[in-house]
Amino acid sequence: MGTPETSREPCPDRILDDIGGAFGMGAVGGSAFHFIKGIYNSPNGHRVIGGAQAVRMNAPRVGGSFAVWGGLFSAFDCTMVYARQKEDPWNSIFAGASTGGFLAMRQGLGPASRAALFGGVLLALIEGPGIMLNKVMSAQQNMPMILEEPVPNMAGGPGFQLPGRGPQAEQASDSGWFGGWFGGKKEEPKASGVKTDVLESFDSPVPPTFEFK
Amino acid sequence: MANPSEKKPGTRQYDPYRELELRTPIHNLYNLPTSPEYLFQEQATVNRRSWSENLQYYTGSGYLGGAVLGGAKGAAEGLRAAEPGDSLKLRVNRVLNSGGHAGRRLGNSLGVLGLIFAGLESAIVHWRGSDDVLNSVGAGLGTGALYRAASGPRSAAIAGAIGGLAAGAAVAGKQAMRRYVPV
Repeated sequence: MGTPETSREPCPDRILDDIGGAFGMGAVGGSAFHFIKGIYNSPNGHRVIGGAQAVRMNAPRVGGSFAVWGGLFSAFDCTMVYARQKEDPWNSIFAGASTGGFLAMRQGLGPASRAALFGGVLLALIEGPGIMLNKVMSAQQNMPMILEEPVPNMAGGPGFQLPGRGPQAEQASDSGWFGGWFGGKKEEPKASGVKTDVLESFDSPVPPTFEFK
Repeated sequence: MANPSEKKPGTRQYDPYRELELRTPIHNLYNLPTSPEYLFQEQATVNRRSWSENLQYYTGSGYLGGAVLGGAKGAAEGLRAAEPGDSLKLRVNRVLNSGGHAGRRLGNSLGVLGLIFAGLESAIVHWRGSDDVLNSVGAGLGTGALYRAASGPRSAAIAGAIGGLAAGAAVAGKQAMRRYVPV
């Protein structure tokens, strides 16, 4: 595998890509759905034409709805990434809630809150198992080490992706549940029980072993 | 620019990867393979968007451009249609309504056009195998014809011609801008 080609675009261009992708999905899916529905609802002998008419009337509308939802979701997601300086599943959940609330804003505070809750719950159902899995996996690996060397490090920047997003989740659980949501600032490492080696270079001085020092 | 390896007094240099080294050999991440990415030289020299990127780009810019333009036009119309003695809430409502309707309509139309154009262009490029202006012209022709196909063959032909000319003009304009405009 060479340089990762399957990675997504950086954040501003990602919004355009998501609008286009969502519109395409909505238009193609809506076309198929409304074609079949039009065929079903047409008189004999005019079925295909009826299906094509239904597609022409409905598919752009469905595509547009998908595009609006996808574009707003992506915009809010990028805003959260910029505000928190982290790439997390939590960004998607907040973005889903914001999108739902924003789209229902004209109907008043009550319906907007309900729509925001619905959007957030939907995204949480999609992203939640991912978050739980990350926390459980990294907690299992880090239980012995947390007691030895508590060094909360908030400098997990975007784009630094390890397999399984382990370090970001475990650093979030290090400094408490709420404090870990906003990163980007370097907190001072707690000096209790931490070896303060002055490193001359970034190369590891010893090859990694599996013993705890 | 200060030498990054100078040590300021009272500080220690922090290795961000130090804790991570204990669990995974992190430096393997930076050992990229030197084997070539493509099997054939012709594949490697091609500098083209994949079909999904093409689709997302044209559809997205079509929908976004249409929505912004239509929304602006509709909002201006809504502002103009205000009657004396209207409350602020009524004016805002009117602007939002007309802007939304016009924006949605134009956005959907341009989005569909972008979708058809991107699909046709990727298909033509795949079958012809070469990178020409003819690909864009052919895709423009097909887009116009498909868009107006339901209105009969004559309007389909006219729309196709308009589409082909527009696509050719866009490609020629882009090349001329690249060559002559100092940007």
